[in-house]
Amino acid sequence: MFALVLMSLRAKQRKGVEFFDVLLMEVCSPLEKASTLVIKTVQRTFQEHVFLVNVEKENRTLKRKVAELQEENRRMVEMKLANERLKRLLQFREETPLSMVGAEVIGQDPSSWFKSVTIDKGERDGVRKGMAVISAAGVIGQILKTAPHYATVLLITDYNSAVDSIVQRTRAKAIVEGNGENRCQLKYLLRTEEVAVGDAIVTSGLAGNFPKGLMVGEIKKVDKKGHGVFQYAELVPSVDLTKLEEVFVVMEPIPPPPPSTEEKTKKVKKIKK
Amino acid sequence: MKRFVPLLLAGILLLILQTTWWSFFPIPWIRPDFLLIFTLYLAFIFPPFLGGILAFFMGYLMDLFSGNTLGLYAFSRTLAFFATQFLKERFYLEGFSFQFLFAFVFSLLEGGFLLVLIHGLEPVSFENLYLSLFTHLLPQSFCTGLAALLLFPLFQMGTSLLLSQPKQGIKARG
Repeated sequence: MFALVLMSLRAKQRKGVEFFDVLLMEVCSPLEKASTLVIKTVQRTFQEHVFLVNVEKENRTLKRKVAELQEENRRMVEMKLANERLKRLLQFREETPLSMVGAEVIGQDPSSWFKSVTIDKGERDGVRKGMAVISAAGVIGQILKTAPHYATVLLITDYNSAVDSIVQRTRAKAIVEGNGENRCQLKYLLRTEEVAVGDAIVTSGLAGNFPKGLMVGEIKKVDKKGHGVFQYAELVPSVDLTKLEEVFVVMEPIPPPPPSTEEKTKKVKKIKK
Repeated sequence: MKRFVPLLLAGILLLILQTTWWSFFPIPWIRPDFLLIFTLYLAFIFPPFLGGILAFFMGYLMDLFSGNTLGLYAFSRTLAFFATQFLKERFYLEGFSFQFLFAFVFSLLEGGFLLVLIHGLEPVSFENLYLSLFTHLLPQSFCTGLAALLLFPLFQMGTSLLLSQPKQGIKARG
């Protein structure tokens, strides 16, 4: 009945009900607003906290996956780098006629005064004291001590190391001696010999340990100060000896270089006399 | 012997740390000498004979894995051990500043001794000696001193664990 009256009133004169409409709206809307707020708050609470249990789990899983992928990526990069290094070593091995065995560097010198590394090849692999240790970039050192499965390599930068060498450009003879941290010095180089910064130093092949013509390093500084028969030069090794990972041990003894034809004729003359 | 073997193994472990993990240190020529710290520590807890053998062995290990063929470390480490034995009645191995200074001074002395020996065996100008004193020896000794702050307490903990006797029963005590 009330509804019918209201309907007829609405139909006839709208102004009459407008007051009720406004009143009701004014009363209800705040309640509605409050209710919506409560619902939204609850909903948000559920969404952000209660329902997030799964999200948190998912987040953890994703984080783990990201970490795994990063680790895999790091491994791949490491493998790529190792592959490139090994490729270079293989190429060097194929190009070099010498018999060599590859070895991995497994430890550094425990002291900071001496320069040596430990490799994972020893007497059982045919490694003997005095054998040359080289890499694609040049000379590394020589075998100092051996054990059945391991050996110690004395690096060319050690104070006790000496390598018979020549200046590649002028063929001047000298001895490369270790001078500590990734540096060597050129000794017994005659003052009359012309050497310059940037000259390459290669092995002479005379000492019997190292094959001839292997790169030792590059001259960094020439010292002609003072008086004397010799001049001195500072050398930077061609191999970064602080970052060694794989090396080659030259297995066969290096034969002394064949005498030149002039020397041969001199010897023949001496024998005839 | 019961005390000797674990300490021997600890020495080997420290050597492995020094030759492998520590080689990744960005400045390769400056690395703390764990074995020296260990040798100095041994002098405080071991009697001269047994400790002397251990100290010699620690030096021998260093010689074995280094490019040194003369046995310099076997000599210098034994000397360091007996020098510490001589001094141990006068000091307590307590307090960070003392631990740091003790390792620092001994590292400096040993380094200087080795340098003089190396340069004596292979005569070169003393200019190089002075240069390596500042570029190598001082930073190296400083690092050893810093490492001692961490290692001495660790060694003390390890030794107390190793030397702690199991509680005796009523019967055993009598």
